[in-house]
Amino acid sequence: MHLQTLPWIILFLPLLAAVVITLFTQRDRKTSATLSISAIVIGFVLTVIFIKANSFNPEVKEVSLNWLDIGPLQAEFGLRLDALSLMMLLVVTGVGSAIHIYSWGYMHEDRCFSRFFASLSLFTFSMLGIVMANNFLQMFISWELVGVSSYLLIGFWYEKASAADAAKKAFITNRLGDFGFMLGILIVWAALGSLNFGKLEAGLADNPAALGSLATLGGLLVFCGAMGKSAQFPLHVWLPDAMEGPTPVSALIHAATMVAAGVYMLSRTFFIYTPEALQVIAWIGGCTALLAALVAVQQNDIKRILAYSTLSQLGYMVMAVGLAAPEAGMFHLTTHAFFKALLFLGAGSVIHAMHHEQDIWRMGGLCKKMPVTYWTFMVGTMALAGVWPLSGFFSKDAILAAAWHHSMPLFIIGVGVAALTTFYMFRLVFVAFLGGERSHEVGHAHESPWVMTWPLRILAVFSIVGGVIGVEALFGGMLHPGGEHPHGLAAQLVYPFKHAPVAALSGLAAFGIGLFAAWTLYARAKEDPLPARIGTLSRWMRDRFYFDELYEATVIKVHDATAAVVDWFDRWLIGFAAVRGSAGATSLFGNVLRFIQSGSLQAYAFLLVLGVAVILFFVLGR
Amino acid sequence: MNVLILKHEITLLLLALGVMLADLWLPPERKRGLGYLASAGVGAILICSLLTSVPESPFAFRQMYVLDGMALFFKRFFLVATILVLLMAVEFSDRIQAGISEYYSLILFASAGMMFAASANDFALLFVALELITVTFYVLVSFQRGRATSLEAGVKYLIIGALSSAFMVFGIAFIFGTSGSFNFGDIAAKLASPEAGLVNNKLFLFGLLFLLVGLGFKIAAVPFQIWAPDVYQGAPTPTTAFLAVGSKAAGMVLLMRVLFVAVPEVTAQWWKLLVVISALTILYGNLCALPQTNIKRLLGYSSISHAGYLLLGIAAATTAGQSAVLYYLSGYLFTVLAAFVVIVLVLRDTGAEEISSLAGLHQRSPLLAAAMTISMVSLAGIPPLAGFFGKLLLIKSALVVGAEHQSFYWLVGIAVVGVVISLAYYLGVVRAIYWGGEAAEKSAVTLSLPATLTVAACLVGILFIGIYPNPLMKAAEAAVLSFK
Repeated sequence: MHLQTLPWIILFLPLLAAVVITLFTQRDRKTSATLSISAIVIGFVLTVIFIKANSFNPEVKEVSLNWLDIGPLQAEFGLRLDALSLMMLLVVTGVGSAIHIYSWGYMHEDRCFSRFFASLSLFTFSMLGIVMANNFLQMFISWELVGVSSYLLIGFWYEKASAADAAKKAFITNRLGDFGFMLGILIVWAALGSLNFGKLEAGLADNPAALGSLATLGGLLVFCGAMGKSAQFPLHVWLPDAMEGPTPVSALIHAATMVAAGVYMLSRTFFIYTPEALQVIAWIGGCTALLAALVAVQQNDIKRILAYSTLSQLGYMVMAVGLAAPEAGMFHLTTHAFFKALLFLGAGSVIHAMHHEQDIWRMGGLCKKMPVTYWTFMVGTMALAGVWPLSGFFSKDAILAAAWHHSMPLFIIGVGVAALTTFYMFRLVFVAFLGGERSHEVGHAHESPWVMTWPLRILAVFSIVGGVIGVEALFGGMLHPGGEHPHGLAAQLVYPFKHAPVAALSGLAAFGIGLFAAWTLYARAKEDPLPARIGTLSRWMRDRFYFDELYEATVIKVHDATAAVVDWFDRWLIGFAAVRGSAGATSLFGNVLRFIQSGSLQAYAFLLVLGVAVILFFVLGR
Repeated sequence: MNVLILKHEITLLLLALGVMLADLWLPPERKRGLGYLASAGVGAILICSLLTSVPESPFAFRQMYVLDGMALFFKRFFLVATILVLLMAVEFSDRIQAGISEYYSLILFASAGMMFAASANDFALLFVALELITVTFYVLVSFQRGRATSLEAGVKYLIIGALSSAFMVFGIAFIFGTSGSFNFGDIAAKLASPEAGLVNNKLFLFGLLFLLVGLGFKIAAVPFQIWAPDVYQGAPTPTTAFLAVGSKAAGMVLLMRVLFVAVPEVTAQWWKLLVVISALTILYGNLCALPQTNIKRLLGYSSISHAGYLLLGIAAATTAGQSAVLYYLSGYLFTVLAAFVVIVLVLRDTGAEEISSLAGLHQRSPLLAAAMTISMVSLAGIPPLAGFFGKLLLIKSALVVGAEHQSFYWLVGIAVVGVVISLAYYLGVVRAIYWGGEAAEKSAVTLSLPATLTVAACLVGILFIGIYPNPLMKAAEAAVLSFK
């Protein structure tokens, strides 16, 4: 491998930036932002250089050093550099750079500008840690660090109660998944004696039965981690609330990168899942996709619509992994990172212009006021809806094709979700950007500054071409060797229609139906016509199928009851009996010792000699 | 014989003499800065020692002196400790009325004693090295002649120290009388041969126990710990720091050499004694630390408990246990010195040494508050700091032995209980800093650049050893393997 040190620099630059900002440049806003932005931009440039020098397939795929070895536990600290991680590295640093730059404009008036950039850099470091980790332990540590930085960023405006609560909710929900993840890692380690991905894969290839009867359970426990981070049903509840964070954070963490970490982890560890485990994973992904898409139809907050859309797309990706097509999942992850970051940043631009108004029914007619935002948002919407030849079409088609080959019910769900996606996205566009002005804030709205619009333009370009620049072949070559993968622009453009025409045509039909429905219902609507038409269902959708209420009534009640019991034990048995009791005993002991430790020299000398005598008696006297 | 094998000790002694002589010519206001010079000199010796490797024939003076991996490890350890203590002494110099240059040079002499102790391969050199350390410490402890507490501590240290030295020299006489040799290697050879019958010779064992009294005094293990709290509290803070780190480590290296090089057969018989002493030391130190209100006294008791943890690794008597001891001591070096540096810097004006006087430190100096917190948390043994890995390695080595001797499980249980107790008083210090109510003194603590660097060096040490433990673990293992 050439330029071995580059990955280390890429990894540690953001950490360095975070440390320097926290310790030294808190007061200097400009320097802090510059440090943070340059750390990630340099990371992006270095990634490109590294890939130029080594291609996507370096001959040596790992660099590592021995972190600690205690007996049988060998923990290494290493980087794994193959097509999967290098592509992901490009996405994280590339999209991350755009969002970092955008944040400069968006957060400019915030009091805690430096703290924001420090947290953002800490996040980047942790995310890169997940991407490049070559073993489970290191991935888990980065995984937790990502959780922490996500907590810090969701709760960035901690003086707002809703933001503080959302941060807590995200952190605690993720803990649930992470606990399973940790158990899964322990099972894998106990059975195979190693945590290194390469060694695990080789070990399982040699002896597929090495995990024994725990294979399915272990795989599902590891999947629990992905369920938490990628917000899969039933741990999906934290992601919509996480939109309380600043919009660039929603774009970077809760759309493009962190939530995708679960899918990335599934692809990285694809070799440990048994067919039964994959089945469960596929269905959980499919259910999440459907549920979230339904909920998105009846949301009115622009960021919440996008949040549920993210959930739904994550469901697609997880479903793809479950359908034994991780390359399709990763492909969709990559294109989704472009267009969803674009959509969030576009939403941020709108929110910025509207003075923090997020209700789409108070917008309208923004297309004339904010042309750049409108057109780029439109590109993002079309990409998400899967319009040929935009990027989303190709990646979604890959997933639908996988479903077509493996499971009919999931294929139907997939197509249905595609129709719903088009419907809710165009509902958003029609209501917020077209039509008449719905409030006087729209009159004052104006286009955002260039630091915010240029990232939009760049992301829009990638949202358009992302499907045909060879991403699919790259992932396919690594994760699904032996399959046929299109090369060349023309071949890629027509590949879906040749490979699985039913899937491709169904996808396009779903787009048509969704667009038609949205046009009929919302093109000239003054208020939402759906509640009147479908009644109860609409209320269920709007209230997110009452999952929060359900958890409130069950999980949280049980938790509170347990906590009350534990509190009683702590207060009375531990606090009163044990601590007070032992404190009494200790102070008694202390008083006795005070008598010994009198400060009197004769007593000290006497005690020393007494000690010698006792020892002599015990060792030699008997 | 190669005299150059002693180059570290010789240069250190020359440096000490140089500092003393410089005192004659330097104007009074510049004497304070002599400490920087001295620590720079020690730094140069440290670099030299890092470049030195174990020579082919490591012995000198008819095998009295040995320069093996273990000796080299501890020499580097003592040099690092000396540098940090000297820097601390410079910050402390305004509280020493007269003779700051002597204070510096006494630290250097004590350090030379420790360096000899690291290389002792003979009971005569062991005694001489220990006395060099102890005698200089008599003076160092009572150096604040204006303070009654300092003088009182000095007298206590002198008398108890003399008593234990008497035991030790008596013990050495018995050892020589029964074995006919001072040399560790010779004695080991005699012990190994059954016809000499030394293993069961009660007079020999009697002598050995008396020798252990002297070493037990140095490391402050129960029942020879009684002096520690009073002396730690009364002595000038840099002296206390050096006592806690250097003097204890010198005791440990000698203990390891005697037990594992000179009399391994006896050690194998005496594991029960070591287990009991270790358990008692852990419990005594931790329980007595609980009600303390004086920070230096608290650290005195805490140092007793740490001697107990270290003995746990010695009792295990395995390579893993011994390298854990080395690892633990290295972490302890940075951790304890960080705490003492903070004490020197913060309690400069108030003169009080109560824990409550640390209240509001996070507003007066966030760096020092963070340093004290990290130090306390590391002493308590919380990951990812140096103290955690040390305890982990020690406990793990004891657990491995537990398969053979069940009582080690009990010892580990007691060690864990000790850790839990210790959390209460270590975190009590942290609580006093951040939630201790209104600070009596509100002005920001001014830090000189060298002081900041000293604190930073300690913090980097604690964090590096804790986060990336492998290099030190490997070095400790190599050192232990070298003296077999």
